[in-house]
Amino acid sequence: MLLELKNIYKWVNSGSRRIFLLKDINLEVKEGEFMSIMGPSGSGKSTLLNVIGMLDHFNEGTYNFLNEPVHELKEKHRANLYKEYIGFVFQAYHLIDELTVYENIETPLLYKNVKSSERKALVADMLDRFNIVGKKDLFPQQLSGGQQQLVGIARALISKPKLILADEPTGNLNSKQSEEIMELFKDLNNEGVTIIQATHSEMNASYGSRTIHLLDGMRNRTN
Amino acid sequence: MLTHYFKIALRNLKRQKGLSLINILGLSIGLACFSLFLLYSVNEFSFDRFHKDADNIYRAYRWTEAMNGEDVKADIYMPSPLGPALKTDIPDVKEFVRFREDWGDDFIKINDQVSSGPVAYTDPSFFSMFTFPLKYGNPKTALSDLHNIVITEKKAIELFGMDNVVGRTIEIKIDQAFVPFTISAVAENIPANSSIEFELLGNFNFMETTNSGKRGVNNWHRSGYITYLKLNAGSGLLNDIQKLASFRRKYYPEEERRLKEAGHTWEANSPLIRFGLQPLKDGHTDTIIQGGTVDQVNPKTIWILLSIAAGVLFIACINFTTLAIGRSARRSKEVGLRKVIGGQRRELVLQFLSESIILSVISAILGFLLAKLLLPYFNNLSGRELSFSFSSYPEMAWMLIGLVLLVGLLAGSYPAIILSSFNPVEALKSKIKVNGSNFFTKSLVTVQFALSVGLIICTMIILKQTRYMTSKYPGFNKENIVVVDADGTESNEIYPLFKQALLTRTDVSAIAGAELGLGEGTGWSRSGFDYKGTPKSVFEYYVDSDYIPLMGMQLIEGRNFDPTITSDTINSVIVNEAMVKDFGWTIENAVGQVLTGYFRNLGPDKLPTVIGVVKDFNFRPFKEDVKPQMFHQFPDYVPYKYFVKIKPGNPSPSLDAMQKEWNTLAGNLPFKYNFLDENLDNFYKAEKRLSSIIGWAGGISVFLACLGLFGLVALAAVNRTKEIGIRKVLGASVANIVGLLSKDFLKLVIIALFIAAPLAFYFMNKWLQDFAYRISIGWWVFILSGVLAITIAFITIGFQAVKAGISNPVNSLRTE
Repeated sequence: MLLELKNIYKWVNSGSRRIFLLKDINLEVKEGEFMSIMGPSGSGKSTLLNVIGMLDHFNEGTYNFLNEPVHELKEKHRANLYKEYIGFVFQAYHLIDELTVYENIETPLLYKNVKSSERKALVADMLDRFNIVGKKDLFPQQLSGGQQQLVGIARALISKPKLILADEPTGNLNSKQSEEIMELFKDLNNEGVTIIQATHSEMNASYGSRTIHLLDGMRNRTN
Repeated sequence: MLTHYFKIALRNLKRQKGLSLINILGLSIGLACFSLFLLYSVNEFSFDRFHKDADNIYRAYRWTEAMNGEDVKADIYMPSPLGPALKTDIPDVKEFVRFREDWGDDFIKINDQVSSGPVAYTDPSFFSMFTFPLKYGNPKTALSDLHNIVITEKKAIELFGMDNVVGRTIEIKIDQAFVPFTISAVAENIPANSSIEFELLGNFNFMETTNSGKRGVNNWHRSGYITYLKLNAGSGLLNDIQKLASFRRKYYPEEERRLKEAGHTWEANSPLIRFGLQPLKDGHTDTIIQGGTVDQVNPKTIWILLSIAAGVLFIACINFTTLAIGRSARRSKEVGLRKVIGGQRRELVLQFLSESIILSVISAILGFLLAKLLLPYFNNLSGRELSFSFSSYPEMAWMLIGLVLLVGLLAGSYPAIILSSFNPVEALKSKIKVNGSNFFTKSLVTVQFALSVGLIICTMIILKQTRYMTSKYPGFNKENIVVVDADGTESNEIYPLFKQALLTRTDVSAIAGAELGLGEGTGWSRSGFDYKGTPKSVFEYYVDSDYIPLMGMQLIEGRNFDPTITSDTINSVIVNEAMVKDFGWTIENAVGQVLTGYFRNLGPDKLPTVIGVVKDFNFRPFKEDVKPQMFHQFPDYVPYKYFVKIKPGNPSPSLDAMQKEWNTLAGNLPFKYNFLDENLDNFYKAEKRLSSIIGWAGGISVFLACLGLFGLVALAAVNRTKEIGIRKVLGASVANIVGLLSKDFLKLVIIALFIAAPLAFYFMNKWLQDFAYRISIGWWVFILSGVLAITIAFITIGFQAVKAGISNPVNSLRTE
């Protein structure tokens, strides 16, 4: 078992009312799965991804990641955990504008204190793999959306995560670029990387092995 | 990792050219300012420390306890036998060196070319006690002969056009005749932090053979020499007041008894007058013990100047901080992302700090160049000859490095803490907005403007006070009077001939003679004596009968000196109102009063007798009240200064005529003159210096504060692009938008004004207390500086605001 969420609640208080962002979420994800989370805007897809990625807290419930009780971990320990095992891919790519393609991919390794020579080798592998060696000295603004997302994925993969969390990874891309990215995810999944993606698109969801539906912060069981 | 930080810092700098320019420009100006003042302070605090034996060298001084309720007096001018006597009587004293400063009135002759060249004299062991390296010559024998002379490199080049002049001859006018001296050594130029100064240095033993020097030999009652002592290591003499007091008693056995009998009172348990020793290194910053050619500086003044410079630097640092916070919206995404991909907060703080330190280093390099460029002007202002020499001021090196790091940390720490604290999820959704309107930024901007407005108010008040003092009528006419300096000449003979010849000219209306000139650096003479049992102190001026009419002084009782009355040149005196009051007379009964107890005998039964009273006038700076003064024509005084009243307008023809007459009468001695009004203005050098320093600091502060404001408004306009667009679509005019953007900032400037005004009022009021004649601080000063600050701020803001206001809303909304 990679991760397990039990009775997860997350809410915000607005005046006297309590608004639930996540309500009684139960979820198990095994290693090697490719799961899609679907649901309309505001249904809690991103929030759930953030909770799984440990970027966001939840108010109630238990969350075990690789048998570590995330809800009981200290901030620093938790950060180490996701730094080690989780890679993030965003809809808006979120590359650092001031860094080149090469440096963007390299940054997570810097924070893991990887030695310079090893960094070079790892980044070179990644550039090779995604066929972007020729673009390594360009800045994000000089790339197309699809290429930027490729860099984003390369950056997520560089630290060899067990799990990739992708929040609408193709939301800003045209259909051809989307297809390429999804094919890439499928390949990664076949290599053993667990993937959880949030998406609006049935088409994208069909690449996964499992789909869950969210509505107003709850698993929509009718579907 | 560091190279990574370095890279991203540089790229950020490049990307945001405008902001980087503001930051770097501001910081480099601030750093340039501060490093100049730092250099000045280091110089002041390092006075005389360059001597190898500095720790063991002391300067003798005379300490007079507070007597009759007056202040303690202490000075460093000692009688000639003091040094030898100390060495004989007190075994702790290893060595002594006496030094007679140059008195500024020597003439020298080289190849029949006469010029003025001040000569100082010292004992031959001078070069073994002090570390003044010789460029040419041997320190052991430099002053071994009576007719040896040591010259500084600078003076050698001035006189001979070259530095190796050992063996050359200089003739110095001693008493009536020019005496040849041989240059035995060339000394390296005197460092800026030396309290001992000389250009030409002769043998003390020779000086004691001259007319004026002879009078000092073995004379304990003629003081004019500085005495330096070297003590045995570990000596406790410095604090052994009893030993020093009993030493004094040995040579002045009757002193205390006589003073007591004369009715003087002082704290009984300490000796009234004693000798003391002052560590050489402390001399420059001790303002109680007076004397020397370099004015002592109060450490408080140094700290005040340094704080002002620190204030300017602080303003530049604030710019960095507020702009970095204002820019945070742009960088929040980067922060969020770095956290998501594994950056710890500590690493982000480090990243932002290294960015600010890199910026600080770049600014420091520029600032240092700027400071070097400004150094000559600064030297002009500070009256020192400073240079950025790390060999003279080794501490400057680490101070500057420390300063750069400190500035980087100070400016960068708050933004670093704020930026690194962002929650990654919110940062990525760009929900975070810390713009120019948060409380911290507002306070900082207020502090900036309060500082700069405060400095401007101070400048205006100091300027007004200085102008008041230079333009106030001192009680005599100071315009169109040339003061010819005849010190060192046979003035008794020259004066009548000079006067006679020039009075034939139509452009010279009157000429009067006096012993002393007026104004800063031209001397005054004060004597004290007991008048009917009470000690009195009076300023005395020897003048001739033409002086009072020429100066336009007003006689309110009695008469002026009359050349036809013989007693007038023996014992007649004319006093001022202040003296009448001090001596307990009235204007009506003053004439005819006799100064019983006067210290000099003017002939059988001749005591000074009052023949007239003049209205009070200010010979001394307006800082002081009018003191008791008297004019006299006592015998054996010489009119060394000629006061020549000339026609208003171009003075050149009159000056040419005087020069010509001087040349025929005084032979080849140089013609030296000044204008009286300029001499008097020199009283206020310190105030003028202060007002220009504070004025510059104020101007620079305003500039830096506005620079920061400019950047902040630009950022606010960017951060509010969407809001501005929407407002415009809804019908807001350009004026509305300008108002929207400027309102917040102008409010801060006004708050700053209200903080600065009372503070400036308080400090300036305190400063003005030192002046006997002073302006009252008018409310208009605050209004004027307020209007000035608001106008400048508004122009700064308005430029950006209008730019934002006239932009097309469609563009700004589309890019969102």
